[in-house]
Amino acid sequence: MKKIKVLILRTAGTNCDYETQAAFELCGAVVDCVHINTLIERKDKIFEYDILAFPGGFSYGDDIASGKILANEVKNKLGDEVREIALSGKPIIGICNGFQVLVKMGLLPDPKLFEQISTLSYNDSDKFECRWVYLKTEKKVKNESSCIWTKNLPDIISLPIAHGEGKFIPGDKKLLDILNKNNQIVFRYSAKDGSDPGYPLAPNGSVEQIAGICNTKGNVFGLMPHPERYVFALQHPAKEGFDGKYGCGRIIFQNAVNFVKWS
Amino acid sequence: MFEIEIFKKKGFKNSHGEHVLSDIFELAIKDITKVEYSPLYLIDGDINLSEAKMTAVELLSDKITESYAVRRYSDLNSKTVNLQMLSASVIEVCYKKGVTDTVVESVMKAVKDLGIDKDIKVRAARKYYLFGTVSKTVLNIIATKLLANTLVQEYKIK
Repeated sequence: MKKIKVLILRTAGTNCDYETQAAFELCGAVVDCVHINTLIERKDKIFEYDILAFPGGFSYGDDIASGKILANEVKNKLGDEVREIALSGKPIIGICNGFQVLVKMGLLPDPKLFEQISTLSYNDSDKFECRWVYLKTEKKVKNESSCIWTKNLPDIISLPIAHGEGKFIPGDKKLLDILNKNNQIVFRYSAKDGSDPGYPLAPNGSVEQIAGICNTKGNVFGLMPHPERYVFALQHPAKEGFDGKYGCGRIIFQNAVNFVKWS
Repeated sequence: MFEIEIFKKKGFKNSHGEHVLSDIFELAIKDITKVEYSPLYLIDGDINLSEAKMTAVELLSDKITESYAVRRYSDLNSKTVNLQMLSASVIEVCYKKGVTDTVVESVMKAVKDLGIDKDIKVRAARKYYLFGTVSKTVLNIIATKLLANTLVQEYKIK
């Protein structure tokens, strides 16, 4: 059977690469963590992989703004290749700092445009927020969104967050309407019962509580919470999970691996 | 030499400024009514105005929430100063010479990534605009208690 190959892009300051690798391996993929300098030296290597992941962490120390320096580096040195992968329909995920990178290089929400039209800015609290939160994967979104990463998730899931700059801000109202209309808003912060949360369950002041978005095709996905930190039930504070063993985060990685396997 | 200052656009929350204001209240200083925070970068070397602007747009500012001002160092006392900020007291904080500033190293790398392959020197600072009438003594208290670690950082009150 075909082995699904995943590329995790790492650089100075990424620190969730091993967890992301473990999550994909749990789902049956073969994973390489590759430093960006290695990839820049051999750009065609990127096309050997089926899935591309931008892990969480603090790339370049979050200097200037989180993800900004890596976003510029990827865009200027690997932009054509990354955009081609996005447009080809291969799955791409950006988690936390990786989400900031995708947004700031312009791969999300529209890889065709490939321009920054939204941002992830400083939390309203001006603090690093680190806790478990609830996320609404609205039924409408789950059934109608083309996002390949979030199929078969429960309506409300719980994932950990850890960020200082997670406030999602679309460039204008028109973009927000488009994101809503196309069901590109995949996750929103919520209370446990699905109602609108207040702080601290809404950790950053994101517009419309946005926690994760995808492109219209559904293959490029970015989110602030960390699904790779909840692949086993044991990782949850209350040991909740499915099949008595696994966490919801696993479903996200399994979806992408299955998508490649069956396509 | 160019000075690049980053401002929050109108309508966007200056979270760090608000945080500093609440910390000032906790020092029992009630005369400051508003604080605006601006990152500041001094870039020295063989770069021209269009390269400085490109650095400001593509690297140092956020296209959605921030605007910027690029000034030649020789223009710093001229009319290019943001008029809205003129009524404020200003505290500028930066690392002392000889102390490693990792932000500076990241900026120098990132400028090269933009395709500006020139020898430059960068200094980074944090600029706080404090609105309200307070004495220089109080500003010194705010600077030393809240804004600067005087062991490794220096500050200027303007």
